[in-house]
Parts: sequence; structure tokens; C-alpha cells
Amino acid sequence: MQNHRRETVALELRDLSKTYGRGAKAKRAVSDVTLSVRCGEVYGFLGPNGAGKSTTIRMALGLIRPTSGEVRLFGSQVTDRDALGRVGSLVDGGTFYPFLSGRDNLRVLARTRGIDGRRIEEVLERVDLTRDAKRKFKGYSTGMKQRLGVAAALLNDPDLVILDEPANGLDAAGIQDMRKLIRALADEGKAVFLCSHLLHEVQQVCDRLAIVSKGSLIREAGTAELLGTSLHLTIEARPMDAALKVLEARRPIGAPSGHITVEGTSEEAPAIVRELVAAGVDVFRIAAEEQNLEKVFLEMTSDPDA
Amino acid sequence: MLDAVAAEALKMRRHRGTWLMVWIFPIAIFLIALASLVYYQFAPASPPADPQSAAAWIADSAIFWRAPGSAPGRILIAGFAALLFAGEYSWNTWKLIIPARERWQLIVAKWTVAVGFVFAAFVLTDLINLTTEWLRSLQDSAIPEDVTLSGILAAHARAAAYALLPIAYATAFAALFAVLTRSILATVIVSIGLVIMEGMLAILGVFFHARAPELTRFLIETLPPYHMLNLIEWANRKTGLVSPLGPEASVALGWTTSLTALVAWIGLAMAITLVRFSRQDLN
Repeated sequence: MQNHRRETVALELRDLSKTYGRGAKAKRAVSDVTLSVRCGEVYGFLGPNGAGKSTTIRMALGLIRPTSGEVRLFGSQVTDRDALGRVGSLVDGGTFYPFLSGRDNLRVLARTRGIDGRRIEEVLERVDLTRDAKRKFKGYSTGMKQRLGVAAALLNDPDLVILDEPANGLDAAGIQDMRKLIRALADEGKAVFLCSHLLHEVQQVCDRLAIVSKGSLIREAGTAELLGTSLHLTIEARPMDAALKVLEARRPIGAPSGHITVEGTSEEAPAIVRELVAAGVDVFRIAAEEQNLEKVFLEMTSDPDA
Repeated sequence: MLDAVAAEALKMRRHRGTWLMVWIFPIAIFLIALASLVYYQFAPASPPADPQSAAAWIADSAIFWRAPGSAPGRILIAGFAALLFAGEYSWNTWKLIIPARERWQLIVAKWTVAVGFVFAAFVLTDLINLTTEWLRSLQDSAIPEDVTLSGILAAHARAAAYALLPIAYATAFAALFAVLTRSILATVIVSIGLVIMEGMLAILGVFFHARAPELTRFLIETLPPYHMLNLIEWANRKTGLVSPLGPEASVALGWTTSLTALVAWIGLAMAITLVRFSRQDLN
């Protein structure tokens, strides 16, 4: 059953582009983005400010018309209300009516969607907002607004949840709760499309990642794959001078701590060890340099012209 | 669709603007009625007034239905419609509700609530006024003997029907301005400007007719302001509005022509609102 759900493509973007303005003033915000999000997975959508993440999300929700390309939700066009009815979203940190209470905002949304209002208490409980549900939205803290936004996204028990920066304004405990919630949603078989700049959080919770820069998708891969493609090896070997000489072709960098960093992948490690041992060097440790998403992200999105 | 209307009603009934621009009519008349009842209870007896005919009494009792057609009435109605439509841009809440329902349904729900709330407020105002008249009759103000319930109902139903057009007109154009300007303030300013221009129709007509007579006549006979004023005149005085253009020129059209023209303008404003909104990007 779970495998079957994973096969279901919840969100599919095909050559999606958006250009604002015309003629000389035209600005391409999103350029030929193609990706798909399956049920049961958390899909991270990363990019620096102005990369086109929010524009892409707005097109996926039918708020903005694409210039070209298409958005498909569960195989249907984004204009199909049945398909859009299976989507829950948090955009812009939760936008609500400031003069209504949190609970009344959810009532308005439930009415607009034409769904059962009984889920309101359930989702308020799930985001830990029951106690403050009577308060007016304009009096909410950023974190509370964010949590109400998530509650609204879950109100219709969606199969696809689109979350734009859900951890904004949350404290450490709130971020942890949000991480657990996102993971739980995916474990329930829902597809989660997560847009965030908190790379550490994304790294921990996402199954797959897409990195966008300047409107274009520059890399899409599984999180493990993206983090596993280290191009550097750290070696602890003695004597260091002899080791540096053997590894000369790999542009070695010797650190005072006694470690040497060289260009190379995990697959090349056995050959390097053999070369060092053959030259009379003792190898104590060799390992691929640990990658983190921030490093990968910065390498991919940094502007070479800057 | 009913759910969308209920959602709009739930949203707007809590807003302060609804109290200030819609419920102000019944609240004001209630306070005035209360004050008048208290006054007449304790005021020294005044000499009896000339007896009123039943027709005049019934016509006077339905006078509050003229408020939607008045300039201040239409400004308040337009202000409420501006809040209802442009408010979503100001609060940034279109993106909350657009994924939830077809765009045209959201617009139709807003029209329904705008017209429905205003109409309900005037029904309430009318009922308070009639109740006050009845209570006054218990004090010292006699109701003419020929006044019948069926006569009151017929006159008030007719007056209510006449009031629907200015309500729909003010709402349709305010909604259009809201979708075009995306701003409550701009919508209110444009709506007030339109009402002021209507009040200056005679002066503007004479001024421009001296320079471009054919074009001026065409514009007055085509654009909605003359037709709105003409229908209000027909409803209130049973005679049309003669808008002077010069010493020997004027515009005077029948109520059917003005009704057709105004319904067409309202329909056009609603159609443009729907088309514009359905194609609008909401960043």
C-alpha cells in the first residue's frame, strides 16, 4: 500500500516558466523547471532569495498563470478543482484575516472549501494552538501565525502539502516539532513540497532535493546522493612529507594537525592507500570529507562572476 | 456556492467596517426612534397636525428605501463593497482562499454578501421605522384610518425593489474598481468621485455641450450616471430627470431606456470584474 502511494505523483511541473513584464522590461522569474513530487516523500525546494521558489509555488497553487509549461496535480491540470482540493498550502507565512480569531479564520477557510468544520479542533491541537485559538490573528506572534498557517494547510486532510518556509519565526522547540510533523505527514503517505532556507532542517527531513538558482533548476537528487558526492578525501598518514610527495598530482593540502586533504572520491580511496603503502607511508585513516547541505548549496548557487 | 457565501458572511459580519457602513443604517434609525419616543412621551402636548392622507403616510413610511439611491448612501455601499473586494488584496488573503474555490465563485459570493447585507440592513431599518410609527400611534400620532397592511406591504415591496438597482450599481462598480486598483482607499476615492460627478452632471453637461454638443449628448445618454439619476427620479417622483445641456437642448429619457442601459452597465462591470480577476496574478 505504502509503495503504491509512493508511486503516485502528486505534483508535476513540466518546463514551467514565468516571465514578468514585456519587451525590454521582461524579467524571467522561473525558467523551464521540471520536477515531480511523489506521495510519501518530503521534497525540498531550495534556492537563494529571488531564485523563483515562491513564484513556482504560486504557479503550483493556481495563484499565478505560467507563461509556458504546465502544472499537474495528481495527473490533472491545476485548474481542476478536485485536484486542487487535495492540496493544502502555507504561503507567505500564513496570510489570514487580522480581525478574526485563529479559530474563526479556520472556520472561514473550512466554509470556503465546503468541508467539515469538525477538523478545525483536530488541526489546532496538532499545531498546539488550541489555547490561543480565541485570540485575534493580528495579536499572534510570528511563530503562532506560522502554526496557524500549517493548521490551515492540513484542514482539508490534503494528499499534497505545500509549505513555504514553515519554520520561519519558530523557536528551537517549534522547529523540532515542525520537523516531526513534516516527517509524520510523509509517513502518512502525503507528499510534502517543502520550500525552506533552513538548510540544516531540510537536510534532516527531506528525501529528495531540488536546488534552484536564478529561476532554473540546477540539481535534483536524493538527499543522500547529494550529500554523498564528496570530491575530497581526508588522509592521516606518516611521514607527512613522503605522503605529500606521493599525492602531488592530487593537489594535496597539508594541515598542521597532520591531516592531508586531496581531490578524490570514495571509490579512489583503495588505490590511494595502495600508492601510499607502496611508497613506505603508513596510512592511519582515509575518509571522504563530510559534506553538509549548506556547503553543497553554496557551491552550486554561488555566482562565479561575483 | 452557498458555502462560499456563508464564508463571506462569517468573515464580514465581524468586521468593524460592516458596522460603520452597513449596520449604521438600522442602528442610527433605532437610536433616533428611541430618542423620538422618549421625547414625545415627556414633551408637552402639541397642537394636532393636519391629518395626513393614507397614501402620503404610506409613502413617508417607506422613505428610508430612498437612502441607497442617495449620494451618501451609495458612498457607504461602495465603501462596504471596497472593503469586501479590495480588502482581500490589503490583507493578502486571496492566496488563502483562491486555492479553495473557483475564482468566479468567490466573486459571486462577494456580490451576494455585499448586496445581501445592505439589503438586509435596509429591511431592518424599515421594520424599525414601521415599529416606531406604530408605537408613536400609541402615544399621540394617529395613523390614517385608510392605511391597510396590504397597502403598506405593497408600497414597501415596491420601494425595496427600486432600491435594489442603486445597491447593485454601487456594488458592481466598486467591485470593478477594487479588482482594477487592488486598494480599498483607491476604490473608495474613485467611487466617491463618481458620485460627485453625478451630482455635477447638469453643470458638466452645459459646460461641455457648448464645446462639443454631439459628443456631450452621446456621453450623457450612454454613460451610467444620467440613467441612475433618471431612475431615482422616476422612482421617487414618477417623472424622469431632465438634464439641461443648453438654452434649447436637454436630455430626457424614459425609465425603460434608463433601466435597460443601467442593467447593461451593471452587467458589463460584473463581466469585466470576473474576467479581470480570473486572469489576475496574485503574487
